[in-house]
Amino acid sequence: MATPASAKTPSPGAAYRVGAIVVGLIFIAGLVLLTGHSPIDVLVAMVKAAFGTEDQFARVLATLVPLTLCACGLIFTFNAGLYNLGVEGQMIIGGIAATLALRLLQDSAPGPVAMAVAILAGIAGGVVWALLAGALNVFGRISEIFAGLGLNFVAQGLAVYLIFGPWKRPGVASMSGTAPFPETLWLPTIGKTEASPVALIAGLVVLVFTVIVMRNTYFGLRLRAVGLNPRSSTVQGIPATRYLLSAFALSGAMAGLAGGLQVLAIFHRLIPNISSNLGFLSLLIVMLGNFNALFVLPLAFFFSALNVGSLTLPIQFQLESALAGVIQGVLVLAALIGRGLSQQARARARAAAVRKG
Amino acid sequence: MLVELRHIHKRFGAVHANNDVSLTARPGRVHGLLGENGAGKSTLAKILTGFITRDSGDILLDGKPARISTPADATAAGIGMLHQDPLDVPAMTALDNFMAGMPGRSPVTVLRGAAAEKRFREIAAGLGFKLDPRDRVGDFTVGERQQLEVIRLMALGVRTLILDEPTTGISAAQKDQLFEAVRQMAREGRSIIFVSHKLEDVCALCDEVTVMRRGEVMGGRVLREEGRLLDTPARISSDLVTLMFGRELASPSRETHRQEQPAFTLSGVVLDDRRLRIALPEIAIRRGEIIGLAGLEGSGQRLLLQHCAGLLPATAGRLLGRTDLTHKPHKAYLRAGIMYLPADRLKEGLIGGLTLQEHVALRRSVAGKAGTFVNRASALDGAEKAITALNIRGRPDSRVERLSGGNQQRAQLALMPAQLDLILMEHPTRGLDVESAMWVWKLLRERCASGTSILFASADLDEIMQYSDRVIVFSGGQVAPPVEANALDVDRLGRRIGGQMDA
Amino acid sequence: MFAKRDTVAALATLGLLLAACGAAPTAAPTAVPPKPTDPPKPTAAPVAATVAPTAATKPTDVPKPTDVPKPAATDYKIGLILVGPPNDGGWNQAHVEGSKYVMAKIPGVTFEIVDKVNPADRPNVKGTQVADDLIARGAKMIIFNSDDFKDDALETAKKYPKIPVIHASGDYSWKDGMAYKNQPNLANLMGQMEYGKMMAGCAAALNTETGKIAFLGPLVNDETRRLASAAYLGAKYCWETYRGKKAADLQFKVTWIGFWFNIPGVTLDPTKVMNEFINGGYDVTISGLDTPEAAQETKKAAAAGKKVKFVHYDLKTGCDIAPDSCLGSPYFNWGPEYVKAIKAAQDGKFDNYPFVWAEPDWKDINNVDSSMVGFTMGKGLGATSADMDKFVKGLADKSINLWKGPIKYQDGSDFVKAGETATPKQIWYMAQLLQGMDGQSK
Repeated sequence: MATPASAKTPSPGAAYRVGAIVVGLIFIAGLVLLTGHSPIDVLVAMVKAAFGTEDQFARVLATLVPLTLCACGLIFTFNAGLYNLGVEGQMIIGGIAATLALRLLQDSAPGPVAMAVAILAGIAGGVVWALLAGALNVFGRISEIFAGLGLNFVAQGLAVYLIFGPWKRPGVASMSGTAPFPETLWLPTIGKTEASPVALIAGLVVLVFTVIVMRNTYFGLRLRAVGLNPRSSTVQGIPATRYLLSAFALSGAMAGLAGGLQVLAIFHRLIPNISSNLGFLSLLIVMLGNFNALFVLPLAFFFSALNVGSLTLPIQFQLESALAGVIQGVLVLAALIGRGLSQQARARARAAAVRKG
Repeated sequence: MLVELRHIHKRFGAVHANNDVSLTARPGRVHGLLGENGAGKSTLAKILTGFITRDSGDILLDGKPARISTPADATAAGIGMLHQDPLDVPAMTALDNFMAGMPGRSPVTVLRGAAAEKRFREIAAGLGFKLDPRDRVGDFTVGERQQLEVIRLMALGVRTLILDEPTTGISAAQKDQLFEAVRQMAREGRSIIFVSHKLEDVCALCDEVTVMRRGEVMGGRVLREEGRLLDTPARISSDLVTLMFGRELASPSRETHRQEQPAFTLSGVVLDDRRLRIALPEIAIRRGEIIGLAGLEGSGQRLLLQHCAGLLPATAGRLLGRTDLTHKPHKAYLRAGIMYLPADRLKEGLIGGLTLQEHVALRRSVAGKAGTFVNRASALDGAEKAITALNIRGRPDSRVERLSGGNQQRAQLALMPAQLDLILMEHPTRGLDVESAMWVWKLLRERCASGTSILFASADLDEIMQYSDRVIVFSGGQVAPPVEANALDVDRLGRRIGGQMDA
Repeated sequence: MFAKRDTVAALATLGLLLAACGAAPTAAPTAVPPKPTDPPKPTAAPVAATVAPTAATKPTDVPKPTDVPKPAATDYKIGLILVGPPNDGGWNQAHVEGSKYVMAKIPGVTFEIVDKVNPADRPNVKGTQVADDLIARGAKMIIFNSDDFKDDALETAKKYPKIPVIHASGDYSWKDGMAYKNQPNLANLMGQMEYGKMMAGCAAALNTETGKIAFLGPLVNDETRRLASAAYLGAKYCWETYRGKKAADLQFKVTWIGFWFNIPGVTLDPTKVMNEFINGGYDVTISGLDTPEAAQETKKAAAAGKKVKFVHYDLKTGCDIAPDSCLGSPYFNWGPEYVKAIKAAQDGKFDNYPFVWAEPDWKDINNVDSSMVGFTMGKGLGATSADMDKFVKGLADKSINLWKGPIKYQDGSDFVKAGETATPKQIWYMAQLLQGMDGQSK
């Protein structure tokens, strides 16, 4: 079983993990070579494109926030034994709810008030959407994976409908989204970059909250108990249903916050792809990090940099920036294969030890 | 085909699942393999069918050593197994399943549906099964799916058929049909191994029987010659029960902590979990009393324990403790000081993935004696104390699934709250070494001294006789009123379990 | 449990990979074979990242960046941000060709091109971010090529007041326009494609047998409304004048797919829309998309024996996809206007660059050096090309003015009253489709 604690034991299979990543990197290098470029050049260029200018670094930070938020939310659901694939939809609904709040308030309330309400609306939207998946799961006995994926489609459809329908900008209905909000409704940024201190602080607060709750509170402990063994937990008197729904709600709140911030701090409007697939990316982050909140930040930072740095592929090398998606996928697969192999190796080692003993 | 298993050994970690097991199944005979759950029957069946590799020992087929290390080897040798869980594809028709299960055909072979259907109908008719090959398997009952599987195995040309607990979940009529088909297959010269923990089925069907207990063969009997029973059914079953449960006599005399005052009373309780329905007699559990629940597994002991734990509401009747607990939520039972320790420790008791220390913290939070933040120091302290007190071989940061069975059971006991009125246990010492078993009972009896009552189910009649003040016998859907253990011995208990309630 | 988790991981990974691959088919080098007449420029050594006139024809031939000396300091690098793929056989390709024209005309100019900047192909990437990066890499001027970039163009112009920003299409720099933004370093360039669309409509009307013309529209905005309407006006004129039929017998249907090109799952699938057109008896389709689905589907249907034709859009060579079924292609010729604007920028005279909405060069609408809007006559016109010539001539000498009233909107209200002629503002901000057209105005 892949549980956080498995990281603690000394690992006879560590070589497999490193080895799998190395093989993955070699595969990627080969792929780049096939396109006629030097992997080193591409790597250097991508690092430069992620950290070269303050704009770019700020963008890494700006992408880091939704990744961190969604990943923190997923820490709760994963530890409750839930596969909240609906995180994308929760993010989208968060974005829609924040947009709705801004549209209602932009003419009547002062900017900061409208923005605060919009953030809360985003959170609420995410919670509602997640609880919908939770209710289908807990009361309707529908796998949360399918409930989540289904609700993702509904959320995406709703966003597209609103953008092409009731919320389209005057005279224009386009993929590029609703009319941008006035600058008074943009979250302040650091200099002229895209990093918003408000968003960064929100991400940081949520991260610290998540780490503390999961490591230091009875809530976190009980959540893990429910996730590991709902039957035992029930027998012991832990209300499993309530904990499952709490996990959904927390995850939804964080994804909804991420969606709201995408509107307020990044796009300043609702676009059909407001989640930018960051929810799915954060699923990978959490799984790679062994469901441990402590690994969220470094992994999210890495993937954020990869995501931002990949924009240089088409600019500098005329390479598909989708190659970055391939790189991501290969690395994740390599890490998972490595983990699987190392677990097998450890199981073999244990079996051998038992035989000797 | 003559199947001979010689001195088979198989260990899983510390558990010796098959300890020097030998068995001979002859062509034309139905051979029963009888024993309680966990006796090692399934392990043996899986060794013979290649699903498990044995540590040592020989398999001889028609007198020649055979190499069986994969399921394919077994199939090629003509050994087929009817699994407990059907292996078919519910969305397809019976005929499609039948054809899909035919090995050795290249994937491009044109399916000869008509020929296959003809063959299907021939075999079905020969065995007396009334299956329509065009029906969807998803609409079949468990018994019909079993019949389909038997037909498939016959088409494969098996010469030895193993049936693993085949009578679970099928109707009485289907059971008769199955038994008739099994006899027919034996008449055609096949050897049959019938794996079961159900005494009555073995008596009704088998020509010979091998009884296993705790991984060892306890003995073998010939029940029938030329289709006729060699003794009366009652004597046969009491003989087999003794083999199943052991005849070592323990001294029933021991001190009791039983007080006069009843702690819990069940009156007119009827329990029903859809598979089984039992009506319980009046039961008054007294303070400090230990009541053993005896019977073949699945006779309703578990229903009673779960009911008392508040996990299975009764369809009728009342349960009274200090307060009326009838139809109260599970929480009320926990508050009433009732603790349930299930047989499957890692499934229903402990939480695999959490450490001992985390279990200590978790129990404290459930007991409502904790704030928001986990007090690690005190949990560590509690875990260390428990480890010392119960002699658990483990550390506070050991994850419970890494502990041995005995240490898991000790951990479960260590995690029990200090104040308890009733402990409900299934198989308190199953899978435990002798030392652990003694520890467990020492601890339980200490609890009784402080007024806690204990209800426990066990397949080990010695354990029941040794520790119970009173015994409740479950047999064939009947539950007898509690009997003083002093008034019983293992033999009489065995006969009662076998159905002679007045023995 | 473990297995389930890993299954989910694998699924999610697969999702990312699929997303990556989904974008891939349109991936192609930006380099397009240069015309043989393009003079090689010894001074502008080709850099992998730039499309220079000498750029090789195959991507593998492009030298590695390390092999090449850095371009000289006199080089003038321009960032060109495309909304779609550079080889789309339409709008985006026309811009790429415009950039080649510029490089041939102004020594030392190079382009860095980023394609497919839209939220479906590049999630989490905004036009402004691409501009940031291009400027950070030394671009001295930025061109946004789609109406969809209007907010990005303005934001970039504000952020970098010293960098000239051209937004192709759009009206923020139009002083008389309704959306004027006083941003001196932002300029809008557009051609009066209305004339090209009138010709497209005329060609369609001259060739339809069923009297049913379809317009494959992108998304609805000012620009697309006026272009579809212009096509209708051209069609109606030629239907009545050259074919002598009644306007009421002409059906003109507009279907908007939702974006400039197909985005699976978000827009309508233009291939399916085309099939509906063809099966519904619409035998001529006028394309308004950036991409060539109209041509492809018409070619297929024609190969299957149906009598169907199409009018392409955006690209001069658009008829090459299916020459026999092609009635023509109204196209943009961005090169000359780009050259003017870039020269102004190089001379430091770009600020408050006048709003450009260029008419065709009526002396020769297909003159590469002077006409912003042209029309390639297609082989499919056959005998009707004589009438087409008459129509083009009439537009050129202003004897045909289709903007003359009375013209009514779809809802019956006046677009242009009788006796008046539509002003540029009226045309640009046309609020609805016109009466007689079948389709959504908003």
